[in-house]
Order: sequence, then C-alpha cells, then structure tokens
Amino acid sequence: MLAGIVQRRARQLRRIACAEGSTRGFLMPSGSGLPTSACPNLEQLMVRYQQADRTAATALIELLSPPLYRFFATQTGRRTDAEDMLQDVWLRIHRVRHTYRPGDPLLPWVYAIARRVRVDHFRKRHRIALHETEVDVLPESPAQLDKINNLPSFDELVAPLPESQREVLIMLKVNGLSIEEIARVTSSTTGAVKQKVHRAYERLRNSLQQAPTAELARKGVAP
Amino acid sequence: VTCHEIDEFLASHSRESELPPAAAAHIAACERCRQLVRILDKSMEAPAPSESQLKQIQSALLRDLKPVRPLMRSRVFLFAFGLLFLGAVAIGSLLLGVSGWRALSTGQKIVVFTASAIGGISLALSLVRQMVPGSKHAIPPIQLPIAVSALLILVMAAVFQPRYESAFVSSGLTCLRIGMTYSIPTAFLLWLMLRRGAWLSPKLTGATAGVFAGLIGVTVLEVFCPNLNLYHILIWHLGVIALSALGGLLLGTAAQHIAASSGRRTFQPVSKSR
Repeated sequence: MLAGIVQRRARQLRRIACAEGSTRGFLMPSGSGLPTSACPNLEQLMVRYQQADRTAATALIELLSPPLYRFFATQTGRRTDAEDMLQDVWLRIHRVRHTYRPGDPLLPWVYAIARRVRVDHFRKRHRIALHETEVDVLPESPAQLDKINNLPSFDELVAPLPESQREVLIMLKVNGLSIEEIARVTSSTTGAVKQKVHRAYERLRNSLQQAPTAELARKGVAP
Repeated sequence: VTCHEIDEFLASHSRESELPPAAAAHIAACERCRQLVRILDKSMEAPAPSESQLKQIQSALLRDLKPVRPLMRSRVFLFAFGLLFLGAVAIGSLLLGVSGWRALSTGQKIVVFTASAIGGISLALSLVRQMVPGSKHAIPPIQLPIAVSALLILVMAAVFQPRYESAFVSSGLTCLRIGMTYSIPTAFLLWLMLRRGAWLSPKLTGATAGVFAGLIGVTVLEVFCPNLNLYHILIWHLGVIALSALGGLLLGTAAQHIAASSGRRTFQPVSKSR
C-alpha cells in the first residue's frame, strides 16, 4: 500500500515538474531524474496532437489536467463541478485544436478556453438555479484553518473576492501563470492584470487582519 | 520596501523562497505581508483529478482523433480583410461615383479617411486575434468596437458642421440603404473567413465584425455622398455601423446558443453520472 502511495506521489510530482518546466518553455534538465523524452515541451506536444499523435494527446491530458482541475476547483469549491468542467474543457480543446498556431505559447490558449468553459458553466448553473427549489446542501469539506497559525484556508479567503480579482489571483498563484500570460488569457493588458492582483492582495491583507479576531470571537474568547 | 512593492514581488515570484533579500526582510518585519505570503504559499496545496477520470477523458479524445490543419497565419487573414475593405470601397466608387470625395476639403479627406483606416486596421487586428484563444490584445477586444465608433463620432463632429437640409429623412434613408447594401455582403464574407476560429466568444466577434462591415459601408458613403450636413453623417452614415454591429451581435448570440444547445457530448457529465 505504501509503495502505491509513493508511486502515485512520484507520478504527481513528475506531472507538476513537467508542467512547470514546459510552462517556462524549456525541457527538464538531465539531472532532474526525469527522462527528457518523457517530458517534452507542451507546445511540441500540442503540434503533435494536431497531427493526431495519440501519445502526445495522452501526455497533454496527463500534464495539463491537474492544473486545469485546480483552476476549476479553487474557483467553484465543488469537486463535481470541477470534474464536469475538466471534461468539458478537454472536449472543447479537442474540437478547436486547429485554432492553436504552432509557435504560440500553449498555456494562454488552454486557459482562455478553460475560462470560457467556466463562464458557460456558471451561466448554465445560474439558469438551472432559477428553475430549482433551493434545498440545504452539506458542504463538501469543512472550512479549514491553518492549525499552527489559525489562518483560514486560501480557498476560503479568496471566495469573497470579486470574480475578476479571484480569477487573476488563482491563475497567478495556483496555476503559476505569469502576468503576461494572464493578460493574454483574459484579453486584457498587463497593467490591468497587475492592478487587479494588487487590489486582491490588499483585500486579502484586510481579510487576514480580521480573520483571527473573528475566529476567536467564534470560539467565545474575547480578542 | 513597502507593502505595495511586495505585491510586485509576489506577482513575479511564485514562492517566498524566491524573493530578493530586501523583500524577505520586509516580510519578516511586517505581520500583514507575512500572513499574506503564508496564505499564498498554501494555495499550491490543491486537489487533483482522479486517475479514472483522466482515463475516461483520454479514451473519449482518442476515439475520434484525426489530424487537423491549423489556422492560416495572421498576416493571411489581415491581407484578406484589407482586400475586402479596399475591394468594397473600390466597387462602391465605380458603381456610385465619387461625388462625396470631391465635396470634401483636403483637411476633411485626411481626417475622415485616416480615422477610417485606423478603425479598420484595429478591428481587423482584433478579429484576427480573436480567432486564436489566448492572443495578445493591445486594446481589450470588448472595448475596441466602442472605441472605434466613438472615434468616428468625434472625428465627424470635429470636421463637419450642421447645415439646413430639406429632405433629411428621405435622403438619409437612401444613404442608410446604400451603406447597408455594402456592409451586409462584406459581413457575410467576413463570416466565411472567421467561421473556423470565431468560437470563443461569438457574440463579441459578431459585434466586432459588424462594426468592421459597417465601417466599410461608411467609407463607401463618404466617397459617394456629397451631403456634408453633420446630423446627416452622424445619423444616417454612422447609423450603418450601429445597425451592422447590432446585427453582428444578434447573429453572434444566436450562434453561441446554437453551439451550446447542439454541443455534441463525448462524455457523460460527472454530476449526472452520480
């Protein structure tokens, strides 16, 4: 059982390492312990996927699904929604794979599609919600606090942020995209993205200042 | 180093360990920044999709995997859009005449046609970039159609004056009809060129293409129509842009709905399978 966990973790780490290496447009160094052939550049994989290379398609799914899943899960907070959106985004990537131009960076292309999927999903949810009777639903995971520092979780903190700020912050910090890449994804300018990030940080700082006080009050202890 | 500068560092470095010493010193001294960094570092800990789901996606995608031809280069589309613009204006000048061109002063010609050229180039660039998701935009595509329309209104208001006109509505309707006669076919040709790529936001692409087609109609009118009354130009000439943009927006919305409703699903949604 332990061997299985170790193997699974190693696979996860390899995916993250590959994705991060490819994000920056270089192959994995030979000393990383990962065969470079197993970690090709994302852009090259995409070109091979366009040429109907099954191995490249499989590799892309393996490399890009975890960060895409994180992108959806952090924004929606529901695993089932994130899984639905992950399937939907791959369906769309498959349908419009001809719109990727060889030589362009792949991640902005992928995340622009993912962003569209999220917006469509949100609208669909909203339409359904208008026709549904609301029932109480148990939260999927209880609000988590940092045991040592008594801080709320990242998801909890970013939830009240305005949509545009939350999205930018998640792409920057959860998915590791650069400001330039986020500007491409959101069809805006780098200045606008920087402004949103700064505003998001300011709000987070303010929330963090209030958070420990609120937590103490919840526990019945005077601050 | 201030808290504001820390934001800059945090935006460009993914982890606390990668921060420069001055920033690290500020974080060590500032409680607010320290808490922020701690939370942001925790953002990396996120769930991952299940292996079974990845297998499901792989099998669905590989089932009908065929080679595809990538979109043509941007400059090919730009050339085609330019050719469409100039071709429509040339045909309009040949069929309708150039009375408007003759009626304009040199200054008016320079200002009006320079504004049309700037608007046309910006819209063509935006359309080409909208065909490829994640492209770089100098002006956000949602703002561009509004910006181009506003530029034309300002330019027309600056170079033309109000004049008395006895048949304001009848002559205006004639101009509107002529303008639309040129903008509708060009919009159709634009759609033929855009259809392989305009799927990310058909509504926005439709509106942008509508403004571009409307601009072609306006340029044809500026070459043909000798009426220099400001209100005639603002309402009946620029009205072509407004109508074309509205048409493009409506068609784009319809296309978006059709695509959403007829979307062939390869997978069963996870939420329904449970």
